[in-house]
Amino acid sequence: MGPKILTVDDSRTIRMIVTRAFKGFACEILEASDGVEGLTVAQRERPDIILLDLTMPVMDGAEMLAKLKADPELRAIPVVMLTAESGRDNVLRIARLGVRDYLVKPFKEELIVERVGRIVDLKSKSDVVERVKRFDDPLQILVVDDKPAIVEQVQVALTGLPWTVQGAAQAGQAVDCCSQTVPDIILISLSLPESAGFILFQMLRASMRSKSIPILGLSVKTANDEQARAQQLGFTAIVTKPIDVADLQTKISRALNLDTSYRYFQRREGVLVLLLPAGFNQAVAADVTTHLRNKVCEAVDAGLNRLIIDMSQIKTADVTLIRLGLDTLQLCTELGVSRALVGSEAVSRECKNYAETMDWKFSDSIEQALADINEKTPTTA
Amino acid sequence: MIDDLDQMVTMAVTELFGTMLHMQMLRVPVQEGFGNNETHVAGVVGFIGKLSGVVYVYTSQSFARRITATLLGMENSEVEEGEMVNDAMGEMANMLVGQMKSRLTDRGIPCVLTIPSVVRGSHFSVEVITSTEGHVFSFEAEGNRIFVHFLLKPMDQSQH
Repeated sequence: MGPKILTVDDSRTIRMIVTRAFKGFACEILEASDGVEGLTVAQRERPDIILLDLTMPVMDGAEMLAKLKADPELRAIPVVMLTAESGRDNVLRIARLGVRDYLVKPFKEELIVERVGRIVDLKSKSDVVERVKRFDDPLQILVVDDKPAIVEQVQVALTGLPWTVQGAAQAGQAVDCCSQTVPDIILISLSLPESAGFILFQMLRASMRSKSIPILGLSVKTANDEQARAQQLGFTAIVTKPIDVADLQTKISRALNLDTSYRYFQRREGVLVLLLPAGFNQAVAADVTTHLRNKVCEAVDAGLNRLIIDMSQIKTADVTLIRLGLDTLQLCTELGVSRALVGSEAVSRECKNYAETMDWKFSDSIEQALADINEKTPTTA
Repeated sequence: MIDDLDQMVTMAVTELFGTMLHMQMLRVPVQEGFGNNETHVAGVVGFIGKLSGVVYVYTSQSFARRITATLLGMENSEVEEGEMVNDAMGEMANMLVGQMKSRLTDRGIPCVLTIPSVVRGSHFSVEVITSTEGHVFSFEAEGNRIFVHFLLKPMDQSQH
């Protein structure tokens, strides 16, 4: 659940309009019909923001605000005042009361969302749902670069995935694209003329439609100044050119919090199999490590207490592989999980050269490992 | 009393309906007894200060229901007749008079607004008593009319 928004207004109509305005966002709307009720709800619920009507019976907005500011536990809650009166004197009086912002009725729903969005972190419900997307789900990617070759490189790097890459050569074109269909992620060249990439970033962040979209900067490895500027502005990550396929996929995956665990963890015949792919590298190891504990714990919780680490697709045992193997075996010991290893002759031989891995026993195939592990740990079922 | 009351009301009505209902209101001539056999709903807000008076914003029950439905993003059939429509019409009147009040205050004519109330009935008419000025304005959108009726107490009297 997102931020708690308290609307205090004697008009049920206004409270309903406010509720409708935030319908598409992950937030909780609380209601009160006057200042007294508003204070009670504020004390009980500790909202993240209060939208407060000025003119109300029982206790008006000014009095409620004064009481909020006098309460050490509530004084920090930002208040946006709603008023039907926009006269200069009224606006000055509201400003003196210590409100964060004010809105004059009549107001457009988009305006109230925009103003609240400046104060609390509003995320659309669809964004929240997208967090559970899998790596192999369709995605829309917008690449903003004035060099068509870069857009093409990104397209090539993502071949085989159900991800659609759209190119935009200029910032204006990118804004048009976003106004039509909001992409899942945007890659912006940091070397666009006249700092256009940075200006575009700020424009996208200022808009409610695009403020939550992850934005990656595209930059030449040695362009340290522009990379530092991007990091300072809040770019989600930097992808360096020339584009490395694994690096790009990993950064997109992390930025969108995509579930990649299905690529490595599979349940088969009562055991959990950790499959390390042929292109195993540091990025893959980091990705596996992210899911490792959760996946093994989930398996144990589901009654699976055996794990097979399948390294059969890997040609060489390097430090990264060995470190991951050791961490996994350590976790198995910690959780009381039986384990077996599958690997090629070459990997098995290389592991004999290290003190930490010289006693690792490898099976030739998953079937063999299953048989071995079943012999050691008979199933309880 | 207010030279450009006409213009102020027109601006306030068009902005209010345009912003809250995406409805384009056009000023039309006032026709005596227009649609008066139908039940009308009036949002009423008074103002007291250097200038005092009361404003009635009224329309037919069917259009009031539609205004409510549009404001709340509902279907007409979902609107509960009674409290829901009353609240919406009261708030519409409050927003409209609030805008007028702001403009008057900026001109050095401060006043405060009363809490909105609602009047319902058929054969609706607002009568003006002696020493009070009455101004009625009529607007139309998609065949529906709304009326804004101003009753103003002359400035010198309202100051006492």
